[in-house]
Amino acid sequence: MDQQELIGQLQQGSESAFVRLVDEWQDMVYNTALGIVQNAEDADDIAQEVFIQVFKSIRSFKGDAKLSTWIYRITITKSLDHEKRKKRKKRFAFVQSLFGDGNEEEAQPAEFNHPGVQMENKEKATGLLQAIDRLPEKQKVAFVLHKLEGQSHREIAEIMKTSLVSVESLIARAKTNLRKLLTEYYKDKIIEPEKDPL
Amino acid sequence: MKKQEQINKLIEETLESLEGVARAEAKPFLMTRIRARMFRHTESAWDRAGWFIGRPAVLLTGLCLILFINAVVVVFNRQPGKAAPIEQLSQSPNDEFSYTVATIYDIENTQP
Repeated sequence: MDQQELIGQLQQGSESAFVRLVDEWQDMVYNTALGIVQNAEDADDIAQEVFIQVFKSIRSFKGDAKLSTWIYRITITKSLDHEKRKKRKKRFAFVQSLFGDGNEEEAQPAEFNHPGVQMENKEKATGLLQAIDRLPEKQKVAFVLHKLEGQSHREIAEIMKTSLVSVESLIARAKTNLRKLLTEYYKDKIIEPEKDPL
Repeated sequence: MKKQEQINKLIEETLESLEGVARAEAKPFLMTRIRARMFRHTESAWDRAGWFIGRPAVLLTGLCLILFINAVVVVFNRQPGKAAPIEQLSQSPNDEFSYTVATIYDIENTQP
């Protein structure tokens, strides 16, 4: 079954076509969401939302872009919405703590480990993912699509509805920012060896 | 100096730590969870209306509109209004003894 046929069947409401779509794209959706929200439970929730959205909106899909590009766009939008909601909740909790008795302890998120990282790189990748999480939205999306999904700059430009030059600039700025963030990270970690008093 | 070199080396290694990363796999039975969610969550018109009204932009616009209407009402009520017409309580003598021209019907009806 080619993609056009799959889209046609989906637009007619075929459940078997929907099952096939989920089977085919679930890892792509989950991995992208995981890269952005950096939490397995949230990424699973987003993946469900994405496919429900795809099922609801497939009739409005005109075929201007590839199906995968369209699904990527929905995933990114849902993931970024989730991040915004999370930040709003954090701000609200902070305001509440100002008026509360001050006993509430802020839950610190556990360090995120991407399951696909090779064992010898785990520690460094954890630091890098922490830094990625602090990047501005667009830089984060471009970097995640490039590094975790292995997308080319041209494909990223299509997904983000921007030019190739913009994507290259976004990734370059992301790298610069990551270098700055990692410098701070390692400055705190590395302790200068004590000098011999003799 | 040595520390900075060490940091630079670590940064380069860290930036390359995601090279060759495998794609994370979704948890099993995603389709089952999607189906359950689709049946569980049937949005009513009220849910959608609530969601729409609850959006910060809509909420703020509504609030501003209410405040604006209030301000307009206050400003217009503050303007010196026209003095209320004093009711004429006593009938003037002119009115009392006025001669009104009878219509053609009155004239006709005077005849028994």
